[in-house]
Amino acid sequence: MIVVPCPSCGPRNSSDLRNAGEVVPRPDPDTATLTEWRSYLYLRENPASWVTETWYCRNGCRRYFTIERNTATNEIRESDTT
Amino acid sequence: MSDIHYRSAVEFPFLSAPDGSISLADHSEYTKVLVRADRKTAAGKHLKVSYGRSRSRDGILICGSRPDEWTLLSEAHRSTEVAESVPRDGFVSVVDITHARTMFRISGSCAVDALAKVCNVDLADHMTPDGAVFSGSIAKVGCDVVRNDQEAGRSYLIACERSFGKYLFAVVADACAEFGIAIPSGMSTH
Repeated sequence: MIVVPCPSCGPRNSSDLRNAGEVVPRPDPDTATLTEWRSYLYLRENPASWVTETWYCRNGCRRYFTIERNTATNEIRESDTT
Repeated sequence: MSDIHYRSAVEFPFLSAPDGSISLADHSEYTKVLVRADRKTAAGKHLKVSYGRSRSRDGILICGSRPDEWTLLSEAHRSTEVAESVPRDGFVSVVDITHARTMFRISGSCAVDALAKVCNVDLADHMTPDGAVFSGSIAKVGCDVVRNDQEAGRSYLIACERSFGKYLFAVVADACAEFGIAIPSGMSTH
């Protein structure tokens, strides 16, 4: 079981939440090339180390929030990203 | 807002153990009004209940069901009255969800043990005291739960999407069977 700390609800089982994936910077829609859009939409780093992720508290407050998770150990820490 | 006749999804409105240690009562017809507003708006200041807590005022149970979101519960046929009690200054959304939710009450000394069989939230007193409002999975259905103790003891109001109501009531009734509730013939417990 992975315990994920929701900012509103406190620590909850990850089955109460949904992993919305790595945080990827959104390119500027006015200047982005097709390659940059494709990269933004489909490509992820997926490293075996610390990753900044977005989670959705689907069974609780229904808010999106950001945390850092080590994909190798499932250790979790707070993220500076909002 | 209309106060049209409510047709509940729950087939059997009341089930109880012979010794009264546990009971299930359908409260789907209760008025349910959803309010979304910033806490700084007149509505937020008027409701004044924080996320995860509830308070009764003027016959309305005000539940802080999400951050900046409240569910107002009251007796049946009060939708218009309850909705109009909320100040509308600023960016405020008030929606009557009476017909969109099934709601029932589980009460009695065995209620916690029965609910713990199907609910993933810690129901201990220090985690969810009387007045607590929380969301969780009950029989894999996302539910909003309010601990609303009665004179007889522990009691929980459970609300879910109306389309899951028949299933959820039956599953909870099935969980209560070992504590003395007789499952009526004709109720499918899956």
